[in-house]
Amino acid sequence: MEVTLLIQATDDSFRILEDARNQAKGLLDSARILEDAREQAKGLLDSARILEDAREQAKGLLDSTVGVTSETRQMEKQKIQTIFQGVQETKSGFQNFIVTFSLLFVFWILLSGKFDMFHLTIGVICSIVVAHLTHDLLFANVRVGDTMVIVRRFIIYIPWLIYQIIRANIYVACLALSPKMPIDPHVLRFRTKLESDISWVTLANSITLTPRTITMDIKDGEFFVHALDKRVADDLHAGEMEDRVAHIFMEADHIYIQDALDVARIYVELRKWV
Amino acid sequence: MIRSSEDIIIRTVSRVLVPFIQLFALYVIAHGHYSPGGGFQGGVILGASLVLLLITYGPKETRRHISEKSVTVFSSLGVLIYSGIGVICLLLLGNYLDYGKLSGILHVAPAEARALGILGIEIGVGFTVMAIMFSIFFDISSGGKPPEDEKE
Repeated sequence: MEVTLLIQATDDSFRILEDARNQAKGLLDSARILEDAREQAKGLLDSARILEDAREQAKGLLDSTVGVTSETRQMEKQKIQTIFQGVQETKSGFQNFIVTFSLLFVFWILLSGKFDMFHLTIGVICSIVVAHLTHDLLFANVRVGDTMVIVRRFIIYIPWLIYQIIRANIYVACLALSPKMPIDPHVLRFRTKLESDISWVTLANSITLTPRTITMDIKDGEFFVHALDKRVADDLHAGEMEDRVAHIFMEADHIYIQDALDVARIYVELRKWV
Repeated sequence: MIRSSEDIIIRTVSRVLVPFIQLFALYVIAHGHYSPGGGFQGGVILGASLVLLLITYGPKETRRHISEKSVTVFSSLGVLIYSGIGVICLLLLGNYLDYGKLSGILHVAPAEARALGILGIEIGVGFTVMAIMFSIFFDISSGGKPPEDEKE
């Protein structure tokens, strides 16, 4: 009996020891794991610090890069702008001078009517002097490179205007000669789609030149027109004349071919510079 | 005191017409010995074109095209041209403004020298008349004040 008890006790104590050993082993393992974790954590921290440093450095680099790029970009922009302006100014100044000179010389020949060397020479000299003094007056607000086109389109516009004047003349004569005199004078007020002063003035003078309508005033793009009867007002509202004037001065929804040509010139300059 | 005009039609039309008016003035001066006109008339038209600029754009803008200093220079230059041609004729042993004597300098026939001499005289007269016309109008319009005193 005692022996059995003893054996049991020994067994128990062995089991307990075994348990304890197991537990100790587990503790040790966990300690090792903890150690490992600590190590790892340390490593992680280090790497995190390194990463942080790297990030700082990267940030600094990025900042400096951004600074450099913005600086270069601004410089490039300025250079492009100066090239653009230079091209534009020399072109506009010289072209305006040439166009003004040729217009004035044609005017001189019309006035003079003498074709001997002496008078032509005086004409050339006078035209150059006047063109030099006033080339910024005649084409003050015209966009660059358009002067030739505008002059040509304006010359094409004149016959159409004369035709309109003749038609309106006949119409007014009919009104005046008819026994009832069916006139209905009133003042129209409309806003134009034209943009520049020269096109406003061209439209206003075309309206005034045509009988039965007179432009009384322009205020900020708003026209005040005196019309003789209702049909005339309808004609004006239809806006054919306005469209044609817009076509001359390349306004409203007309495509600027000249823009493409300008851009091509500037592109060539840029290519040279790059 | 003259201010610049507000009316867009007047501004634009005068802007476009001034070059042609000035060229017409020069035509009148240059063809003075063939057709009606001459130095005085041409000079007045030139002055009128500048006066037109002045009454539409105001003194500030006009001064950019022609300053008071250059007006003074032009008015004296015209007198210098006129009297200079006269004195050259005197030096060439002729009378004052005896253009026929100029043929010696210009190497042309005396008749042609007369035509050229008259042209020179007319250019001088034109300069002076233009400058004086403009400066009279400018002085009256600014009330005789120097340009620094003007406020715009």
